Amino acid sequence: MAYQLLKFALGREYKEPRFFRDCQTPKKSYDAVIIGGGGHGLAAAYYLAKDHGITNVAVLERGYIGGGNTGRNTTIVRSNYLTPDGVSFYDASVKLFEGLSTELDINLFYSNRGHFTLAHSESAMRTMRWRAEVNKHVGVKSRVVGTDEISRACPQLDISCSGKAPIQGALYHEPGSIARHDAVAWGYARGADSMGVEIFQNTEVQGIDVKDGRVQGVHTSRGYIATGKVLSAVAGFTPRVCKMVNLQTPIVIHPLQACVSEPMKPWLDTILVSGSLHVYVSQSSRGELVMGSSLDPYEVHSTRSTFDFVEGLTSHIVDMFPFLSNVKIVRQWAGMADITPDFAPIMGNTPVRGFYLDAGWGTWGFKATPISGKTMAYTMANDRPHELIHSFRMSRFEEYELTGEKGAASVGH
Amino acid sequence: MSMRLPKQAGEWISRDKTVRFTFEGQEYSGYEGDTITSALWAAGVKVLGRSFKYHRARGVLSFANHDVNVMVTDGNDTNIRGDVVALGNGMQLDAVNTDGGVLKDKNKYIDSLSPLLPVGFYYKAFHKPARLFPFWEKIIRKAAGLGVVNFNYPRITKRKLNKHCDLLVIGAGPSGLSAALAAASEGLEVVLVDENQSLGGSLTYDYAGSESSRKILEELQAKVAETANIHVYTGAYAAGYYADHMVPVVTAKGITRVRAKAVIVATGVFEQPPVFHNNDLPGVMLGSAAQRLINRYAVKPFNKGVVVTANAHGYRVALDLLNAGAKVAALVDMRAEGQRDDLVGELVRKGVKIYPASCVYEAVATSDKLGVQGAVIFPFDEATGQANPGKSVNIDCDGIAMSAGWAPAAALLYQAGTGMGYSNDIQQFVPNCLPAGVFAAGRVNGVYCLQQRANDGMRAAAEVLRYLGKRPPEVTVDKHQGPSPSHPYPFVEHPKGKNFVDFDEDIQIKDFVNAAKEGFDNIELMKRFTTVGMGPSQGKHSNMNAIRILAKIRNLPVEKIGTTTARPFFHPTPFGHLGGRSFHSHRLTSIHAWHESAGAFFVDVGAWSRPAYYQQAGKSKQQLVQEEAQAVRQTAGIIDSGTLGKIEVCGPDAALFLERFYTGKFADQKVGTTRYALLLDEAGVVVDDGIASRLADELFYLTISTSNAAAVYREMQRWLQIWQLNVGLVNVTGAYGLINVAGPAARDIVGKLVSIDLSDAAFPMGAACETEVLGVPVRLVRVGFVAHLAYEIHMPSAHGLNFWLALMEAGAGYGIRPFGTDAQRLLRLELGHHLAGYDTDGLTNPYEIGAESALAMDKPFFIGQRSLKIIGKKKVAKLLVPFVLPQEYSGEMPQDCNLVIDGAAIKGRVTSVAYSPAAKRIIGLAYVDPARNQPGMVFDIRTDNGSIVKATVVETPFFNAD
Amino acid sequence: MKLLECPMNGVRPLSEFLFGGEYREMPDPDGSDDYEWAGYVHYRDNAPGVKKEWWYHGPSGTWFIAERNTLTDEVLKTYLFGKDPSGKDQTGSKPNKNQTTGTEQSI
Repeated sequence: MAYQLLKFALGREYKEPRFFRDCQTPKKSYDAVIIGGGGHGLAAAYYLAKDHGITNVAVLERGYIGGGNTGRNTTIVRSNYLTPDGVSFYDASVKLFEGLSTELDINLFYSNRGHFTLAHSESAMRTMRWRAEVNKHVGVKSRVVGTDEISRACPQLDISCSGKAPIQGALYHEPGSIARHDAVAWGYARGADSMGVEIFQNTEVQGIDVKDGRVQGVHTSRGYIATGKVLSAVAGFTPRVCKMVNLQTPIVIHPLQACVSEPMKPWLDTILVSGSLHVYVSQSSRGELVMGSSLDPYEVHSTRSTFDFVEGLTSHIVDMFPFLSNVKIVRQWAGMADITPDFAPIMGNTPVRGFYLDAGWGTWGFKATPISGKTMAYTMANDRPHELIHSFRMSRFEEYELTGEKGAASVGH
Repeated sequence: MSMRLPKQAGEWISRDKTVRFTFEGQEYSGYEGDTITSALWAAGVKVLGRSFKYHRARGVLSFANHDVNVMVTDGNDTNIRGDVVALGNGMQLDAVNTDGGVLKDKNKYIDSLSPLLPVGFYYKAFHKPARLFPFWEKIIRKAAGLGVVNFNYPRITKRKLNKHCDLLVIGAGPSGLSAALAAASEGLEVVLVDENQSLGGSLTYDYAGSESSRKILEELQAKVAETANIHVYTGAYAAGYYADHMVPVVTAKGITRVRAKAVIVATGVFEQPPVFHNNDLPGVMLGSAAQRLINRYAVKPFNKGVVVTANAHGYRVALDLLNAGAKVAALVDMRAEGQRDDLVGELVRKGVKIYPASCVYEAVATSDKLGVQGAVIFPFDEATGQANPGKSVNIDCDGIAMSAGWAPAAALLYQAGTGMGYSNDIQQFVPNCLPAGVFAAGRVNGVYCLQQRANDGMRAAAEVLRYLGKRPPEVTVDKHQGPSPSHPYPFVEHPKGKNFVDFDEDIQIKDFVNAAKEGFDNIELMKRFTTVGMGPSQGKHSNMNAIRILAKIRNLPVEKIGTTTARPFFHPTPFGHLGGRSFHSHRLTSIHAWHESAGAFFVDVGAWSRPAYYQQAGKSKQQLVQEEAQAVRQTAGIIDSGTLGKIEVCGPDAALFLERFYTGKFADQKVGTTRYALLLDEAGVVVDDGIASRLADELFYLTISTSNAAAVYREMQRWLQIWQLNVGLVNVTGAYGLINVAGPAARDIVGKLVSIDLSDAAFPMGAACETEVLGVPVRLVRVGFVAHLAYEIHMPSAHGLNFWLALMEAGAGYGIRPFGTDAQRLLRLELGHHLAGYDTDGLTNPYEIGAESALAMDKPFFIGQRSLKIIGKKKVAKLLVPFVLPQEYSGEMPQDCNLVIDGAAIKGRVTSVAYSPAAKRIIGLAYVDPARNQPGMVFDIRTDNGSIVKATVVETPFFNAD
Repeated sequence: MKLLECPMNGVRPLSEFLFGGEYREMPDPDGSDDYEWAGYVHYRDNAPGVKKEWWYHGPSGTWFIAERNTLTDEVLKTYLFGKDPSGKDQTGSKPNKNQTTGTEQSI
């Protein structure tokens, strides 16, 4: 038995301290203000304090921490992207994730499962090879595998998909993992708080003051805060925050939905993704199947659920796993995904001095949480973008230098 | 000991039909109409399951279709819910999530370890040292989860139906029934849905020992039965509310998507457990659960019980218990005041001792911890919520019925976007801002008195009628009077804890207190940290209590705490129901059957099925593709290209339209000729290419790649709307078949069928005309995509097979051979043609594929032109070039998407590569560093296994033809 | 499933429709600088609110404009391009030399 548990049994009083202080009244000014208390914002606050010694920082969260897409995603962590820049960036994230439970002293249930992207056609197999080759080049463990290897890892999978879309092979990505998403936010919050960062929940940003092209401060539901540096890390709310500084972006908001089944004893050890069937599925440590699909087909700035989503998803899951016919879905939900035209994030400085953007996370935000925090903290501290995020710069659209992730018409997950 | 009662009026079981089954290896019997739970309880079985975390014995809690502690398996289904699923003859059932049976579960030791396992313990343990986590993870995963999945369970997908109506009424209790009847009497088509087998809601069990409610029920049921425009769905739950009043209604047979003009939610309330030590022992159950056992299934909940209550309902429960022959040893009322004299009097007359201002401090477990042997009653101070240990009374009993209050079954209202406010009069959230077309009635709307519930149903029906434009009379509903039906804080602290709030997840009061201490002190964070409400019952018996506890901890009124978001589904819903019977639509050409009989191996291209190649015994795919291609080079091949998109662009502005839509020029195109048509998007990215044949001054005929056809046509339609040109667009993709005959013998073969002069002079490359073949008008185009000599014949698609057979016959003497898409891809590669979507990707611009000649930059406008003017100023990042490997190359065959590298840098990738029998070497197309694009230059390709292959840039075509 | 009203075919379920993106006024290609043009191609008026959007009714092949609140997903009205019943619609009524107005490529 892990000895950490013994302390709970000793002593009547429950002595666990607060994860973070209950901040109510902001100071008049901070060195930096971070809008958005999700994983990204909290991680940026944590690394600002830890890597750069900038601790006079306020994190402003409209609702509760981790309540946006951090708590709504399907918790997959991977780095099997298509462009060398993308692969390097997400690989750095995976490496941070691997040590994060220890660093933050919270069990994130970081569970290395291996990740199969299934290919149901020759053209999908071509894309798998493309990704595998780029991954290998950058030193990330991905390779194209045949159906025999898929069956070994997941004997329950119907390789013919009920005869509807026979699987031809897959991209196998060994580092693919899942984690307990909420705990990532809580761990970063605790870490940042312990170094002096102040986290304000239920605090809405109502406006941002810009003068002579420079950020001056932030109007909030708890009063005005003067600051020279503002990070927007608000995912689906990015258009609303950018509007406050008159910044145009190419982002469009589409809901992304997910659902979970009732809990079962463990049987699915790997993470499976099928682009053609619009399915990704893994089994959580609680025993639930956590499932997602592609983006909703049109723009909506809300987290409403649709029946079409769950009908489509379950029909494909039953094709893959016919024996789940009478297993039940317990809950469906949605997040607001901020999608860019090239399926890559927008990170770094902006034309508004002191206004930094961490956005365009679409369906891949959770897996980037640690590295986005680290690189945005660097970018804010030095007022120049970290080298890992150069190709994610805002100006790439005007420059017609979109990232190549668009090339393979990426699958959302 | 049998707990089955003599026949109860209105019982749901058929006593003449005995059902035999086993549970945990023991044989039992019940009656048809029993649920698994009622049959077991009737047989005296009280330990029906083990809890999720601590493996505590559990019996009946709510018996209201969400008792997830009673989850069984028959070895076939995974998690069968005992309170919902009807008993079946021969069922062999076992409780899930036990090790060694429900009575002797070896995991019950975890209960005694619970001090080690406080809320969120798993976030604080097992991660140090990191290398041991995988070991702990295995143990944790095994402990979690409920049932074991049966991998041999058959694929069963259920039908789906659609139902349209004026009004959907969800819940057929007194208010739902009244609403349905009132609306139907005004002529509305009404769908009435209830999750139970029989209409009536609380009228089917809440009798307080009297007959009067049943009389009302029988009248209402009879009225509904004779009303033709009420469509009743029983055993049917409304799974969720979706946009525009769409509610999927789930039954065992499948899902009906009900689309209503208006919806009345009359879903009632869930009874909530008061929280005290051991409130989860088998035998401790909600008062309404006891009533359901008695009045629906004729099962006595226990022999001698204690009723603990904080409202009038507990008194009604006591009366039902007495009526069923159970002894009521005490009625413990947590309230100091508010008792109704009539109910008190009736119970006292019947010999029940009443303890006002008291609480059950703990339920005393039997020595085996599998049941209740007594209750400890303490005086209770409502104001402080403290039990006073001074004057305790111990009462022997084998069961406790609990009635302390209710929570609205408001999930659908929340999903519809209803604003809810907290009413202090009834200590309940009630709707205060309903979305258009959605109405609430009855207890979910905060109306408790039986007569007023019926009134509220009629009031809601009147509002629906008004919403639909009618003028019904006003219906008034009296405001709630008297004591609150729910207690604001029915919690009793106990030093030993085990006072459960969430029975799915084994969460106790102190877990909330501790979570709040750690900073998880808003309702959403608390939910996530404690997992309250995240189990299969989704908080139906726990969310409201969690809110009350948090309000107390934070010293805030309940309404300031708010609620967590209610998400679909109302009850867990099977994959096979939701997925339903899926349809995989695909399109076939009229020649499909011939391809099948010729051994074609089909691939999906867009919505179409196309032959990739024709299989022959003993020959590999590779061999066959090469043979098919060679036939084209040497004599002739024939391919069914009927899947290509075909669009007619006609009218006075047809040429102008194409000039704007495509990159090239069409205004000066001569009738009878074809031109290459390259389509970009507004960012200058290559979308598609095809051929435009000008068949008349005002008629162009476009062919478009198969998979892009629908999208290109769609874009044409949109731009046409914008430009408002005098053009007609006709998508003739399905109307025309297309057969391509290619190879040196093509002219001779096609010539046998065609009467026009096919000579180079008369019908050169790029010629197009309308003529007649086999007595049918066709379009004939001379093309050069796969061979230097090739003819496309476009005929009405119904004639496709006739033409195919005729061409096969005409070509028989030449050795004509059908070929598929694989050979086609090789053949066009040999000619050096790129394939849009194959050699291009979602970012490719025309400069990167060397398509400058297709860009008429001097035109006033074409889609993408302005962006190209920007892109054109930049350096090209990569360039598509044709390459070959040395003829003697014998190493690993490079594959599509192998990388072109230069030292440590990726310069591009191979997009097409194949062995060319015509060039007698490996040929391909690859993106390379633009500085290395000249014929003779060499670049590196890295193969799958990592070896470097030197490739040489060449000119196309790759072979000397003709 | 949501319902949408096609101006030609009446109210139909959303599954029959395809979203064509925000309706945008194309700047004069010759009169705009590179920066302006790149903005037109890539940037969006993406804050929530009532937007004019392109929608396509698949079975009948009808493009039309929907005015929809992207926050509440409420459709205020739908009409054929250039045929706004209120007469306020400027779509198609302002011919420039290229008669061009921006679209979201739905390919």
